[in-house]
Amino acid sequence: MGVAHGEVKAEAPHMGGINEAGCGRGPRIGVYVCHCGLNIAATVDVARVRDAVAGLPGVVVARDNKYTCSEVGQKTIADDIKNLNLDRVVIASCSPRLHERTFRELMARSGLNPFLLEMANIREQCSWVHGHDREAATRKAVALTRAAIARAALLEPLERNVGSVTKSAMVIGGGVAGISAALYLANMGVKTYLVEREPSIGGHMAMLDKTFPTLDCSLCILSPKMVEVRENSNIELLSYTEVRKVEGQVGSFKVELLRKPRYIDEAKCVACGLCAEKCPSKAPDEFNRGYSERKAIYIPFPQAIPASYVIDPNYCRYFTRGGKCRVCEKICERGAVDFSQREEIVTLDVGAIVIATGFEPYDASRKTQYGYGRFPNVITSLDFERIICADGPTHGKLKRPSDWEIPRRIAFIQCVGSRDEHETDGAGKYCSRVCCMITAKQAFMVKEKYPDAEVYVYHTDMRTAGKGFEEFYQRGRSEGIVFVRGKPGEIVENPEDHSLRVVAEDADSGCILDLTFDMVVLAIGLRPPGGLVELAQKLNVSRSADGFLLEGHPKLRPAETSIEGIYLAGCAQFPKDIPDSVAQAGCAAAAAAGVLASDRIEMDPLNPVVDEELCIGCRLCEKLCPYGGIKVEKTDKGFKARVIELACKGCGVCGAACSARAIKMRHYSDEQIYAQTAALLEVG
Amino acid sequence: MDIVITDLDPRFKHEVAKEEGGERVKYCFQCGTCTSGCPVSEIDSKYNPRCIIRMVILGMREQVLRSDFIWLCSTCYTCYERCPQDVRITEVMNALKNMAVREGYIHPAFRAQAELIGSHGRLYEIDEFTEEKREELGLARLSGDIAEVAEIFKITGLAELLSEASQEPVRTASA
Amino acid sequence: MAVKYAIFLGCTVPVRAMSYEVSARKVAGGLGIELVDIPEFSCCGYPVKSVHQDTTLLMAARNLSLAEERGLDITTLCSACTSVLTEAARRLSSDGELLGKVNEQLKKLGRKYSGRTRVKHFARVIYEDVGLDKVRESVKRDISSLRIASHYGCHYLKPSEIYDRFDDPEVPASLDALVEAAGAVPVDYVTKKECCGGAILGVDENIALSMTKQKLDDISKRGADAINLVCPFCNIMYGANQRKVQSKYGVKYDLPILYYPQVLGLAMGMEPEELALNMNPIKPKSLLAKLG
Repeated sequence: MGVAHGEVKAEAPHMGGINEAGCGRGPRIGVYVCHCGLNIAATVDVARVRDAVAGLPGVVVARDNKYTCSEVGQKTIADDIKNLNLDRVVIASCSPRLHERTFRELMARSGLNPFLLEMANIREQCSWVHGHDREAATRKAVALTRAAIARAALLEPLERNVGSVTKSAMVIGGGVAGISAALYLANMGVKTYLVEREPSIGGHMAMLDKTFPTLDCSLCILSPKMVEVRENSNIELLSYTEVRKVEGQVGSFKVELLRKPRYIDEAKCVACGLCAEKCPSKAPDEFNRGYSERKAIYIPFPQAIPASYVIDPNYCRYFTRGGKCRVCEKICERGAVDFSQREEIVTLDVGAIVIATGFEPYDASRKTQYGYGRFPNVITSLDFERIICADGPTHGKLKRPSDWEIPRRIAFIQCVGSRDEHETDGAGKYCSRVCCMITAKQAFMVKEKYPDAEVYVYHTDMRTAGKGFEEFYQRGRSEGIVFVRGKPGEIVENPEDHSLRVVAEDADSGCILDLTFDMVVLAIGLRPPGGLVELAQKLNVSRSADGFLLEGHPKLRPAETSIEGIYLAGCAQFPKDIPDSVAQAGCAAAAAAGVLASDRIEMDPLNPVVDEELCIGCRLCEKLCPYGGIKVEKTDKGFKARVIELACKGCGVCGAACSARAIKMRHYSDEQIYAQTAALLEVG
Repeated sequence: MDIVITDLDPRFKHEVAKEEGGERVKYCFQCGTCTSGCPVSEIDSKYNPRCIIRMVILGMREQVLRSDFIWLCSTCYTCYERCPQDVRITEVMNALKNMAVREGYIHPAFRAQAELIGSHGRLYEIDEFTEEKREELGLARLSGDIAEVAEIFKITGLAELLSEASQEPVRTASA
Repeated sequence: MAVKYAIFLGCTVPVRAMSYEVSARKVAGGLGIELVDIPEFSCCGYPVKSVHQDTTLLMAARNLSLAEERGLDITTLCSACTSVLTEAARRLSSDGELLGKVNEQLKKLGRKYSGRTRVKHFARVIYEDVGLDKVRESVKRDISSLRIASHYGCHYLKPSEIYDRFDDPEVPASLDALVEAAGAVPVDYVTKKECCGGAILGVDENIALSMTKQKLDDISKRGADAINLVCPFCNIMYGANQRKVQSKYGVKYDLPILYYPQVLGLAMGMEPEELALNMNPIKPKSLLAKLG
């Protein structure tokens, strides 16, 4: 193979790196400093790191390898464990997120307890971030490795916890990603609970008129899937329901849900619509983005699943006028109206969770220069979908809101709230990935309805990477849509006729285009949905800087989260289109089903241990624990803290706070951390 | 205009980015938001902030620094407010003008203003007529020159810069 | 409520916009705003920013230190002064290294600055410190027959980040609110946000005057009785140069230009002479006739 063995410094100083002196009965540590090809070696002087730690107490051998994770690299370690009687291993390489598992398995194969491994991250934390300064990077790598050795010396063998597996899954979010994930799981035989906070599943896809680049009617392709959800005996749909609390871990999550009252008995309602006909109260129809009205008793859209009405207590007279009205109750022949319904707590036991919480459209009124919310004929791309949809406020005729006349000149403005450094949330700084194609589709739909319409698309770059996308963009140009490379600074409304003046520099011709339009559509980006922060906290999953949820690995674990047993699908992770959302849903379902297929699960034993002799029952730990993972209970020795294994996430707050030093964190004991810190701070 | 690679100074953009106010110039992605809302470009397109930044990024050092158009920014900050990449264009123009001055190009109107301020500490020399008028209106007398400003000009090196010969920027035809 | 500021006049106000100074002092008295004069104030530094930014910063820092010595914040009448002083104050209060550097230079002048001075435009002081309610209470004369178009200008609002976005430069409202609180009718117009062109008058008169003309055209079309201003620089364009625009382009506006303190002063019942209205370049005769 000729990769790594040549790099092993068998003849290097310290007797081939072996140091028997001073290793009497103490720990016997092997240290392996990785080059990672040039990833580390180009910046960090790997040989210097090796030499700097070779003589430290307990270090029996110190070597550098070109690729420690390679077959050859691993064999070197295995041989050393055997030949040199190593009892601990320190690897200075990449992040433990990548290879901790690899090396722990190696240790187990070599007869060592896998928890006697310690890693120093000298790639992500050294070479990659200090590429400009070899000296400083090398010194930092030495310090990190030294700290790892100090901790390794104090590591203790631990046995893994073994848990049982509840053979069911929960999918949070009933948009196209959640629907797909639930169906994939159900079809693999997994009992699946699909939880949706709105009264119907369908998500944003249900609001779209058509999809790009095929121009399929969106609901025509989505509603069969929605019906499948209802019909599939492995799926239990919990609509109008939110996640309240999640405890436990992979294989055995305990979930508490809050079912909001519909005031309609779902089982009895056949969605005949008589109630809504008679209902006297109107409300803005959020499904039509407020461009039309619905009744206080309503079904979000005709194809809604569950096909059941719901009462909006903010508008229903029964609620706003103290028990009066009840017209719907009288008219419903099936007796489905039930004003006595209350919020209800439902608990579930599931082995795996898929998060498919989707996105929220950008609030275009924040870009005050474009006048959304002030100028009626400035609409967003999502508004456009409703206005052109057969079920929308104009029954499929594209009309402008100020006078509901047909617009003859329409402009689209791209990147509204995207690729924008003025946006304070991270998701506003990048490209939302779908808006260019949404606009290309919408501009095309305008041309399809009104071939004489003049359509201008103002963009910064048209991004049409995807199957069939470029061809679609080309088709749009051939239809006569004018794509202008130039972003308008503002929209000025003529208050008399509500027409809209748009000035932009056409960078391609060098001309200033000063044009007036009947309607302007703002292509808005995708944002993390409201409530995602709280949900992420409940599930203990990490978020990225943009506010969406963080995947397990950007390349290799795109559908997993930082927490085992919890998976990601669709826009919950990052803005993406329908095919990508469905693909990721399949990936998440497969990963979840994999976990559910096994009968037992091994988990890192990172829960704290309470020393009852020392515990004084002060309850500080109980107050501080964010997960309800430790409780003080009365025992025959008085009040003592007790760890609730199912709820504990091993965060360490209790251990850090315990003034009696009664709580010991396994694998992260005070002694280990002090030793690590002291070694880190040594000047060197 | 043909440009060959030897005409371009690849360091120019980095130089501008090191100048106060020019820090974000390299982020420009040429969307044209600046020019589309620019009140000066609207009247005379020889001033085009997007183009000027493009020229900086391409490295057209001489053409930028000796031009009269960089002096045409009215500092209204409209582009600054809207630029999606937060290039802070108004401040980039300031940076370019400051660099131009050091290269020996200074617009005569700005030279005149600077010299007045250098000698009086204000844009106007206070004459007796002004003082009388103020008195008539019940306003306090002004205290004449603020000499410390001349001192400031010396401390910062502006006095020396102004004492050196300079050229007028090269005139560009109105577009 | 004690509102007390050092008043920063700058270069243009005390020499070419005395009516602004007179009316501002008068109105401040009526509203209970105490204004303290600091004779050692120089030019803010704005006019040399294009030439030498370090000089601008040091001039601004010196002015800020003069106010700090007296334990006062600064209020300004000129918007360009507001922006340069505010920007310097913000940078120096948040960047210790820069403050240190500037102090080394200030030391040569025998001064020091520790970063405490805050800066606020006089109109914003009325808008925020006094408040619209107190403005309404101060009104003694009915000026509801007057239709007034506000010109915000650039530096009063922008860059918005240095002013904590107290008003949205894309949909500015504070001056219209002040006009309304004084009892006059605010006039909306399409080019409201446009720049007066004053900053480039010396570089290209044609462009600058065209910019001025655009707004004068728009405002006079909307039937305003006057333009409301808060910056002496803008007044050079709309007031002093209005005749020039008229003769150059063969147009006629005769549109009176008032500073906001003059508008408010009239509403507070002050006499036109007290507010030096007679010194305005476009005589506001028609306007005063409307008031009767």
